[in-house]
Amino acid sequence: MSGTIVKQGFTNEAFESFLARRREPAWLVELRRDAWAVFLDLPFPDRTQEEWMRTDIRAFKLDGFGIPSPSAEEKPLAKALLTEGVDLVGRAVTGDSRPLPTRLDAELARRGVLFGSLEELIETHGELIRRYLFTKAVDYRADKFAALHAACMSGGAVLYVPKGVKIDGPLHIFSSLSPDAADFSHTLIILDEDAEATVLSETAGFDGQADQAPSAGLHCGAIEIFVGPRSRLRYVNLQNWGSGVWHFAHQKALVDRDADIQWTIGALGSRLAKVNQHVALVGPGANAQVNGVMFTEGRQHLSYHTLQRHHAMRCTSDLLYKGALQDKSRLVWRGMIKVDRDAQKTDGYQRNDNLILSEDARADSIPGLEIEADDVKCSHGATAGRVDDEQVFYARCRGLTRKEAVRMIVAGFFQQVFDRITIDSVRHALGEAIGRRIREYN
Amino acid sequence: MSEFFKVCKTADVPDPGKTVFEVDDHFIVLIHLDGEFYALDDACTHDGGPLGDGFLEGSQIICPRHGARFDVRTGQALSMPAVQATTAHVVKVEGDDVFVRIREE
Repeated sequence: MSGTIVKQGFTNEAFESFLARRREPAWLVELRRDAWAVFLDLPFPDRTQEEWMRTDIRAFKLDGFGIPSPSAEEKPLAKALLTEGVDLVGRAVTGDSRPLPTRLDAELARRGVLFGSLEELIETHGELIRRYLFTKAVDYRADKFAALHAACMSGGAVLYVPKGVKIDGPLHIFSSLSPDAADFSHTLIILDEDAEATVLSETAGFDGQADQAPSAGLHCGAIEIFVGPRSRLRYVNLQNWGSGVWHFAHQKALVDRDADIQWTIGALGSRLAKVNQHVALVGPGANAQVNGVMFTEGRQHLSYHTLQRHHAMRCTSDLLYKGALQDKSRLVWRGMIKVDRDAQKTDGYQRNDNLILSEDARADSIPGLEIEADDVKCSHGATAGRVDDEQVFYARCRGLTRKEAVRMIVAGFFQQVFDRITIDSVRHALGEAIGRRIREYN
Repeated sequence: MSEFFKVCKTADVPDPGKTVFEVDDHFIVLIHLDGEFYALDDACTHDGGPLGDGFLEGSQIICPRHGARFDVRTGQALSMPAVQATTAHVVKVEGDDVFVRIREE
């Protein structure tokens, strides 16, 4: 079941033809049909809604894109950043929402690990996928984009790690988007009890010549993660689309008893991104560390809405988002720690720091706490500031150019979050990508 | 530099009055006041509020969210909570056609 995007709009006919071509099990067809009905029923979000009041999507024209359709045309893939010098134990690639052949270490396959495109796994392990897909994690009724994704999802990857299996090397999930294309990829990661895995997930696109307007693109996706009891997942998710791409995503992880997730987000690309990232601590003693590294430029607008939801006792969550902005770009972070009545002994923290590199860039940080239990430790912090001229002067006195000095200061700013990222290739790739983007400012 | 785009006829916006248009991938609020046309970014510099949904009071436009005031002629911020000007774009009228050129600065 391969697919690429053909612009035929999001009509009932196009949707029916999409369903007919895929020949999927009845439960999935029913799910898609219900999601399609929700998509048709819901209005586009607008600035009267709290979550969207800082994110203006009036310029987004859905009709410029289309539902995935089969086509023989295979476009070249964009360049991945996270895998340089890394020995991968598996790789799943999607090009313009078209699943491409996947690879998994034979020994892992023998031990019961499943890794492949959503399409492959639905065909071979449909009942397993059915238990997780849009059941407890992402709710496709959340908004119009979530519903559109559920109706049209195509490509992406599924990872299932059975009980007691620990995967040493990283797996790579890669989605590439060519100019004017759309991506509806879905990521589903399931770790059973006492399992371990490291997943490097990234998206990439193309930017045209500097003097031309960037090519448009659409990502309407979702990530669902289940970390079983006493399991451990390191998950990196780098968004590096081209600068004309509209990026809408719902991402949720459920972390069970005494399990651990380290979830690192890198956000470098897209024209506008609106992401809901939700970590739900559902079993006692669960732990989540959430790291965010953002760098924006031009007129980019990235909006991240995070929720650390404590359902169970003795859980910890620690979120650190750091962003640097230049030109006329804008970052919005709206974070919430929500503690249920029974989630006593919760330890929750969230922090967002922004470094403003130019006069016209803007960062909005809106932290929040909603606590119903009475024996918790929860706090938050947010900062925004400019590059310190005295630090630049100090560095220049020692022979550095202004640009080198600013680059060094920005690197130092991100060091705190890089120190928390335990995967060398990720630290290196993010540091390099950010360093390349920094321009000279007076 | 961007070019001039025709946005409407002079009679399409009452005087005094305002209408929001999409011009060259930007949303602007076109204001018709005392026979003159002005174009501002449709975004309050305080928190991105929709100026096009705001109120005209003399030569001022008032953001509907928190009451920040801007001079429709220059985009200058005149009251808290806005402290930065919103972008004023270039407008010209030829015959009964109104043209706007987006100012990128």
